[in-house]
Amino acid sequence: MKRAERTKLLIEVGRELALQLAANICEQYDVQEISPPKEGLVMIKMRETAQKSLFYIGEVLVTETKVKIGNHYGIGLVKESEPELSKALAIIDAAYEAQLPETILWIPHFEALAQQLHINQQQIKRSIERTKVNFDTMAT
Amino acid sequence: MAYVAVRGGAEAIEASLEHLQYERVKEGAYVAVETLQATMRGFLDQVMSESSLYSEQLAGLAMKQSEGNVEEAIFLLRAHRSTLPRLYYSTTTDARNMFVLRRISASFKDIPGGQILGASHDYLHRLLNFDLLQETAADVVAQKAEFEAIEVPDESELPLENLPKVMDYLRQEGLIREFPENDAEPSDITKESMAFPTNRSQRLQTLTRGQTGTVTSLGYAGLRGYGASHPTVGEVRVGWQSIHVAMDDEDDPYYIGAIKLTEVESFIPVNVDSEDKQVLEFDIGYGACFGQNETKAIAMSIVDHALETGGDTPIHDEEFVLLHVDTIESTGFISHLKMPHYVTFQSKLEQMRTIKKEGKSL
Repeated sequence: MKRAERTKLLIEVGRELALQLAANICEQYDVQEISPPKEGLVMIKMRETAQKSLFYIGEVLVTETKVKIGNHYGIGLVKESEPELSKALAIIDAAYEAQLPETILWIPHFEALAQQLHINQQQIKRSIERTKVNFDTMAT
Repeated sequence: MAYVAVRGGAEAIEASLEHLQYERVKEGAYVAVETLQATMRGFLDQVMSESSLYSEQLAGLAMKQSEGNVEEAIFLLRAHRSTLPRLYYSTTTDARNMFVLRRISASFKDIPGGQILGASHDYLHRLLNFDLLQETAADVVAQKAEFEAIEVPDESELPLENLPKVMDYLRQEGLIREFPENDAEPSDITKESMAFPTNRSQRLQTLTRGQTGTVTSLGYAGLRGYGASHPTVGEVRVGWQSIHVAMDDEDDPYYIGAIKLTEVESFIPVNVDSEDKQVLEFDIGYGACFGQNETKAIAMSIVDHALETGGDTPIHDEEFVLLHVDTIESTGFISHLKMPHYVTFQSKLEQMRTIKKEGKSL
């Protein structure tokens, strides 16, 4: 699983799972905190559609944590002030970087999260579909 | 004339600040930041857009602290932002991948994916709802449950995460000029002050963080004849935009969350030279901003086009537009007029008295 998908699932629908997985790793491995959760900014680079050039639309508040398991570093980066989640994401990232055997066991968890995200998105789509204009039904 | 430092206001200022704090609490009412975040969506979106800082938590806090004073809330956020390190730049964000919550076109009735109204104030009668005076927390919960119980389709095929752009079809017909992707690194007005003439990235960055009222007024002026841009809105889309940050590997970035954006393309007819004759094409005016700020984004698209094309009226003048749209710069300079100007005013006064006494003219 790619990192973008993994981090999206954990941030959008897997907060509790992230905290739990990170706690399990901390019980079994020596996790060093390289940089504690700290707030900072990410500047967002945007592609505009008129001339397809790039510009900066603004900054988003993020929380970043860096940890190390053995010789492998992990980074947790999430929008808003989220110290706990940021640290958990960093530990999970380091676990994947270190290719810890636990990560193999996490596959079903991530499959469940992917299913949950799909359900959530379907729920939004099904509701928003009611607001789609059907011109054919307009009175003439 | 020498300047003379004076003191004596410290205690009065301290008391003034105490009065300010008292104004916020004197009714004995309390509102949680979470409540503001949950119920003041429009205010939060405007404040995040003008402060150029996306954080619903901080915008809610700024709103509470400033008692709903928009310019003060933005000042607080810009000040706080200046204390935070810039950790990363995102990978290129493209609103084609937005998870759309609302998307409409004023140019075409039938658009691929359809007109999706989403949640909007546009279709209200603008009558005060006096029932809200009596609304309780239980009423809110009941109304939420009522909405969630409405029957909806079992499945939805709406491709909200990759809706096509309306303008693509005009581009395919050759009615809109095609541009190659330009990956030149944008300028950053928060790092380096603008010098004139500006480049496109500086103009867009300045407009997107511009004061909503000012950008809207300039767009309106453009429509009323103080500009040459008369657009039809090609597409307004509002939705959740995923943001990614890449460290070492561009192909394996971190997802950091989604932010709400509004993006607009306006179609503006222009005459262009083609093989020794004039033909009519459409230019695109572009607008985008944090949150659901549709009026601002549409106005931005008008001003963007005006600045791109040039002209004799004020909204084509980039110095006039770009140096006056920023909330902090404009409110800061205007409100500084309240600060003591005793010495400079006394100097002018003395000058006038002398001239009057001597019967001279300036």
